[in-house]
Amino acid sequence: MGSVVSVRPLTVGLALFWLWLSGRLANDFLLVGSVGVGRGEPFVPVAPFAAAADSAAALAASLGPVGEPVLWLAGGFEFAAEAIGYLPLLAGGIWTTVLLTTVSVCLGFALALPLSLLRVYGGRTARWAALSYTELIRGTPLLAQLFVLYFATSLTQVLRGVPGVGVGFVPAQAFWVAVISFSLNSAAYQSEYLRAAFDSVDSGQLTAARAVGLSKLEGIRYVVVPQGLRLALPSWTNELVYLVKYSSLASFITVQELFGRTSTLASETYQYTDLFVLAAVLYLALVVTASALMDRVESRTATVGVGHTRQ
Amino acid sequence: MTRPLLDIDDLYKSYGSEDVLEGVDLEMDRGDVTVLIGPSGSGKSTLLRCVNQLTDIDSGTVALDGTDVTRPEADVNELRKQVGMVFQDFNLFAHLTALGNVTLGPRKVLGMDADEARERGREHLEQVGLLDQADSYPAELSGGQQQRVGIARALAMDPELLLFDEPTSALDPELVGEVVDVMRDLADRGITMLVVSHEMGFARSAASDIVFLDDGEIVEHGPPEQLFETPEADRTREFLGRLQTEHEGTP
Ligand SMILES: Nc1ncnc2c1ncn2[C@@H]1O[C@H](COP(=O)(O)OP(=O)(O)OP(=O)(O)O)[C@@H](O)[C@H]1O
Ligand SMILES: [Mg+2]
Repeated sequence: MGSVVSVRPLTVGLALFWLWLSGRLANDFLLVGSVGVGRGEPFVPVAPFAAAADSAAALAASLGPVGEPVLWLAGGFEFAAEAIGYLPLLAGGIWTTVLLTTVSVCLGFALALPLSLLRVYGGRTARWAALSYTELIRGTPLLAQLFVLYFATSLTQVLRGVPGVGVGFVPAQAFWVAVISFSLNSAAYQSEYLRAAFDSVDSGQLTAARAVGLSKLEGIRYVVVPQGLRLALPSWTNELVYLVKYSSLASFITVQELFGRTSTLASETYQYTDLFVLAAVLYLALVVTASALMDRVESRTATVGVGHTRQ
Repeated sequence: MTRPLLDIDDLYKSYGSEDVLEGVDLEMDRGDVTVLIGPSGSGKSTLLRCVNQLTDIDSGTVALDGTDVTRPEADVNELRKQVGMVFQDFNLFAHLTALGNVTLGPRKVLGMDADEARERGREHLEQVGLLDQADSYPAELSGGQQQRVGIARALAMDPELLLFDEPTSALDPELVGEVVDVMRDLADRGITMLVVSHEMGFARSAASDIVFLDDGEIVEHGPPEQLFETPEADRTREFLGRLQTEHEGTP
């Protein structure tokens, strides 16, 4: 079964998207004022697209009822012109979303691994504590968790006091509150996926590892964990995809990630439809990139007999 | 008189209220091949697990080469280096190749460097006739091949004693022979083996001693011809009779 992601035009589209994003960020942060275009100024001029939209609209009007398709074309040009104009203003938001998601998933994983091992191999109390944490997090809304951390704790004040926060490239404290919240949340979900994966590694293998002279911990490390991580990859992809989209909740605590940035722009320009359609396309690009990357990892690490192997 | 390699004395083991082993005495000298037979649930697997301390014992002693390995201060990992185990369900590490299975112990437990472990691992795979499958994963091997990798994995630690828990009973009948051949070869090379198996061909041709375990007690033991031809206890006779009827019909 060929995966959707390997289809050529999509790959080209994704490559263009990432090329543009990195070029944009490099321009805005590093080159601006010397060789690059101005910050927020499009790479491609808007005028020709706007002009094309106008002439297509005029042509459509002269054609009467049969001009309907030409009118759609005019709409397309108009959207392109809007998009080209707004994209530079959304780049920072995209970058924040990418950062928010990847940092949270990685920190969440670092927390989920010990949590899941406690669930499977821990003593009574450790198992109970890990399970309680998982259920508490999975049983309450992410937005509520975010608000509790942001409004009901002094985390924001503490973070504001950390040197470097909000300086230069380093995002301000609200971003880090979101990172902490998403990491704690993602850890619960990831630990559940990992627990299921570790459970499905036949316990006889751990016995065999111990019979060879490895301690239980070494057996877990060299035999169970490598297989469990491989087995958990598909659900890990899901987690990444979810988090890309759920990271939009950070806008509720003032983080100007993609969704927050789009909302701000929309309320300034009243171009709600165009802006949110554009944001949706950008989210799609991020999600498809995430699953394409994970697909790559899955096929790289495929091992006959460990989990489901693609042909 | 040299001291026995394995000396089990008055061993008791229960799971909850269920007494599994009730005063087992067993001695093995270097080079002995002891085959342990007995009905299902009689405690054969439990006895093996007590020998390499995969289970704690209740009372009694298990001594390996004169050292009591059941003392609380005994180093179980040290013991398990000296005692290899082969399992009914093979229990190969699914994410490692045949060679990877064989080299994990030497690398991580004995601290051997990767090249040396691989070189010696190949020798052990060659001993079980699987050098050509060194790079195959367990899922790519037949049951008989997997069990031979299991044997090579145990051999790679250079153990004093090899334990086998029904090594052929998960195999299709036509694959039993290749595993039995490897085991017989090990017996010929003087490796000390404690084997739980109802594979009569192996028991008759390779065993120095047959031990009949029933209800957690050793009912009778002796050389194969004596135990199989002229068993003393009624329970042994009855069990051997049942075993024979079960095996009739299978070629
Ligand atoms: N981990 C365990 N917890 C509780 N009871 C156990 C455990 N392992 C074994 N037993 C019980 O101990 C008894 C002996 O089991 P054991 O596996 O040693 O028998 P066996 O002779 O190897 O039988 P078989 O021929 O079926 O493998 C059985 O009644 C079994 O239910
Ligand atoms: Mg058994």
